[in-house]
Amino acid sequence: MEMKLDPRTKLFMVLIVSTIVMMSATTPLLWAVRILITLIPLVLLVAEKKYSSALKFFLLYVTALVVNFVVLVNSDGGIVVSLLTGYCGIVVQFMPSVITAWYFIRTTKTDEFISAMQKMHVPDGLTISLAVVMRFFPTIAEEYRHINDAMKMRGIVLGGGNVVKMVEFRMIPLLFSCVNIGDELSAAAVTRGLGGTVKRSSVVDLRLTVKDIFMMALFLSAAILFIAVKYIR
Amino acid sequence: MDKSKKLTAKDFITIGIFTAIIFVVEMAVGMTGYIHPYIVAGYVVLLPLVCGIPMMLYYTKIEKFGMLTIMSVLMAIIMFVTGMGYLGAPLIILTGLIADLIAKSGGYKSYKKTVISNAFMSLWVCANYFPILVTADSYRKSLIEGGFSEDYANSLFRAVNPKTIGILVIVCFIFGIIGAVLGKKVVRKHFEKAGIV
Repeated sequence: MEMKLDPRTKLFMVLIVSTIVMMSATTPLLWAVRILITLIPLVLLVAEKKYSSALKFFLLYVTALVVNFVVLVNSDGGIVVSLLTGYCGIVVQFMPSVITAWYFIRTTKTDEFISAMQKMHVPDGLTISLAVVMRFFPTIAEEYRHINDAMKMRGIVLGGGNVVKMVEFRMIPLLFSCVNIGDELSAAAVTRGLGGTVKRSSVVDLRLTVKDIFMMALFLSAAILFIAVKYIR
Repeated sequence: MDKSKKLTAKDFITIGIFTAIIFVVEMAVGMTGYIHPYIVAGYVVLLPLVCGIPMMLYYTKIEKFGMLTIMSVLMAIIMFVTGMGYLGAPLIILTGLIADLIAKSGGYKSYKKTVISNAFMSLWVCANYFPILVTADSYRKSLIEGGFSEDYANSLFRAVNPKTIGILVIVCFIFGIIGAVLGKKVVRKHFEKAGIV
């Protein structure tokens, strides 16, 4: 099934989910809303053929949810239990926004993103910086893995228990490669006319379709329902 | 030199990269806060210290007004998206603006001004305590409902409350200075020798 949403719709979803995540769910109905807005991005991830990340998120979320409800109900204290519920609580609490943000980052191409931001009249500077931030997380993770591999090859596992060394051995090479990647990125961006004085045109033609409007309406009503049930009663 | 006052695409990319790095560091340090709430209060020590290195490297790249402000705006956006709430956002942007103005008064080259500017910039860590203070009751409730134990919430409020926030801000500021000095040393040791900056 083809399910391509407009970046603006996805941004709207991110916005709504982050708003709902800030408020805790107290009643079963509120939990239902929360779980629903978590499952929709997951389904969308599957629709965009990101099966493995969708599965990983799904398993993590469901496990945390189950542990949270089962253990919390018959909790008898103990350090392990409280630590476990703490972690699962965090996962349940923040997973919705993580999943939605991941969905947004993974399925939005940079040119689509920039074009969408242009249509919303966001200043160019903010758009470019934000686009770089979005693209850069996977790069940092990848570079970090490479650095770790290189360290392992030389027999440095954790910096010999020295915390300062641990930070230094990881951070300095990471910063080195990030600075270099940044230079390359700037060169590539300037080649593509970013930062020119003329208004850029875009190859992607973004249009809000019925799907987008449906999705926005769905999320908006979820947020309204959530707030109404929680605060006005 | 007048033309170069405006930020270029290269500057925006630099902002994006360093914001991403700072955020990753913040996340890595932030994860430790779930072990014990006192570590949450300890962020004011840990974060400025660790962030000192990338920040000082970032300062060597800054030549124009706006780069620190935009960074703080991005941080505020990211903090909102990751569920930290919107209450701290204006404070984050404010500290970024102050930091920017201070660094500007030193022409972005003065070492002393850079150090002080970084100390102000680190205060965004404290801005994240803001929801804990302002909406104490509902925050506490949402913590416990969110799966944290009663003990965790109690200790968190013992560590972060209206009485301690002044101390936390001052400590954060001081460690912002220390982080900047240490960071500058590291940058000198590694990056200036290698000719990167």
